[in-house]
Amino acid sequence: MTTHRSFAARADIETILAERGAARIDVPVLQPADPFLDMAGEELRRRIFVTQSETGEALCLRPEFTIPVCMAHLAAQSGPARHGYVGTVFRQRRAGPSEFLQAGIEDIGAADTLDADARSVADAATMIGRLGVPESAVETVLGDQTVFDAVLAALGLPAGWRLALAHAFGSDAALAATLDRLSRPAPMPDMPAAIADPARAGDRAALETAIAGEMHAASLPEAGGRAAADIAARLLAKVEAAQHTPDPARLDALRAFLAISAPLDAAPDALTKWQSAAGVDIAEAVAALAARSDALAACGRDPGRITYQASFGRRLDYYTGLVFEMRDAGGEVLAGGGRYDRLLPLLGAPAPTPGVGFSVWLDRVAHAAGGVS
Amino acid sequence: MSVVTLAVPSKGRLRETALERLAEAGWDVVPPADARSYRATVSGRDDVEVAFLSASEIAGELGAGRIDAGITGEDLVREGLADSEERLDCAARLGFGHADVVVAVPDAWFDVETMADLGEVAAGFRARHGRRLRIATKYWRLTQRHFSQEHGIQLYRIIESLGATEGAPAAGQADIIVDITSTGSTLRANRLKILSDGVILRSQACLFTANGSAPAPIADLSRRLAANAQKKAAPSH
Repeated sequence: MTTHRSFAARADIETILAERGAARIDVPVLQPADPFLDMAGEELRRRIFVTQSETGEALCLRPEFTIPVCMAHLAAQSGPARHGYVGTVFRQRRAGPSEFLQAGIEDIGAADTLDADARSVADAATMIGRLGVPESAVETVLGDQTVFDAVLAALGLPAGWRLALAHAFGSDAALAATLDRLSRPAPMPDMPAAIADPARAGDRAALETAIAGEMHAASLPEAGGRAAADIAARLLAKVEAAQHTPDPARLDALRAFLAISAPLDAAPDALTKWQSAAGVDIAEAVAALAARSDALAACGRDPGRITYQASFGRRLDYYTGLVFEMRDAGGEVLAGGGRYDRLLPLLGAPAPTPGVGFSVWLDRVAHAAGGVS
Repeated sequence: MSVVTLAVPSKGRLRETALERLAEAGWDVVPPADARSYRATVSGRDDVEVAFLSASEIAGELGAGRIDAGITGEDLVREGLADSEERLDCAARLGFGHADVVVAVPDAWFDVETMADLGEVAAGFRARHGRRLRIATKYWRLTQRHFSQEHGIQLYRIIESLGATEGAPAAGQADIIVDITSTGSTLRANRLKILSDGVILRSQACLFTANGSAPAPIADLSRRLAANAQKKAAPSH
């Protein structure tokens, strides 16, 4: 189908992986489906090929490499490692092929996260370049969830709002819808008197008791799911939100932040300007972004050619910081990557284990390389 | 001459009511001589036949083009066949078999009234409880469409439930459910409530045909069934 299917091209990629200091790892094509569905959610089920073992275990053709590589890393119980891979991934689509060749590096356990982040971006750019796509034909977009989190905290938004906004981060449509919803006065929740009285009085203990009574009457399990305390906390936040008129200035400030898009070396200045206009302090996040820019420069990447987009993120809750994408002139994604410090603990890592990695879509790279030569 | 095949549910109230409505529309279905047979004829007609199929199989048979038309619940069609909106026509709504497919959560979730609330609870669920929010349902496709595509909620797991779904939260098998309800009494008895934007589908029995290709006898039947259903719905009769 493409040149990358040949063994010679795969050998090229193995050479590149070795040059970048990544040890080759192989993971099975057939994978347990549950980790993918647990991490990405049930929506993924429509897009992967699922089958069943004789004993009823749900298996799937690997839809990506990050999760299998992380699981292999955990199974090996080794220390920090840079794992390089190349192989086929499988995705269900209505039209077009469903097999894609991917290569990438997962950098697991590196303590210097700023350096590992920069190296991941540089590795991805190098791989794309070595495979024949000139740098001038590639646009790199970078986002950073820690900046968004810092902005939410600095704006002093109600807890319920921050949760809703953090949940929407990564989708422009979901963010716009959430901002719209928050800019209207929130309705008072509909509650029976036994709940409404303690909720309006802010009597958390009485509210929890009343909710626990209702849960008991419905024979809901007392452990393992939502507890009366969880429900009471959210209900109190909703009642509080309904009693306060939303502050349009703070939501406007958030909208202005989300609209920021600038070359990475100019992004700290843009954020500093935003910070003084909004009258809040995110100096720490600005400094971290400046350090990110410097680290990329130290890895040989020109931060002036990387676009920082404040609203760019992934709606997967295991991504925690850096996210990036490299796109060709037509906007096709050639490579995607990011930091996933929550993933390994979710997969069962006994101690906090950071990770950052990227995947290159080799078929698209071959197409992009062919288009410019 | 090719014989046109209409599928009818093979058992239950859907079958009985469908046969009544067919008789009213002039299709007198003659029970097969062999009670175990799944094929029947229509009195005085040699251009049509009736196939008794499981109500949930009718969508797939229509999609595969093995039958020309079928009477079944809309919920089963939307659930049973991908892209059913594009591939099948709902030729007539028959005014019986009403049931809503709904998202229901425990009454005690006083803080959850909308899908947006549920999205927030789902987003924080694993951090608090070490696992995803679980939804008991037999409606995988409808659930995914409503949650993922319409409300952008991805972080949940579906627990397949083929019966007594409304008991799943109390049994600890799931946190919430997606199920059909006609009067809501079963939900109330299980202390579950429907979210304000939690009605996924207002379903009823319909006559479905493959997209744009209803043979003449089916088109004629469809007009009669629709007219009769309208008469029944009109309060003055």
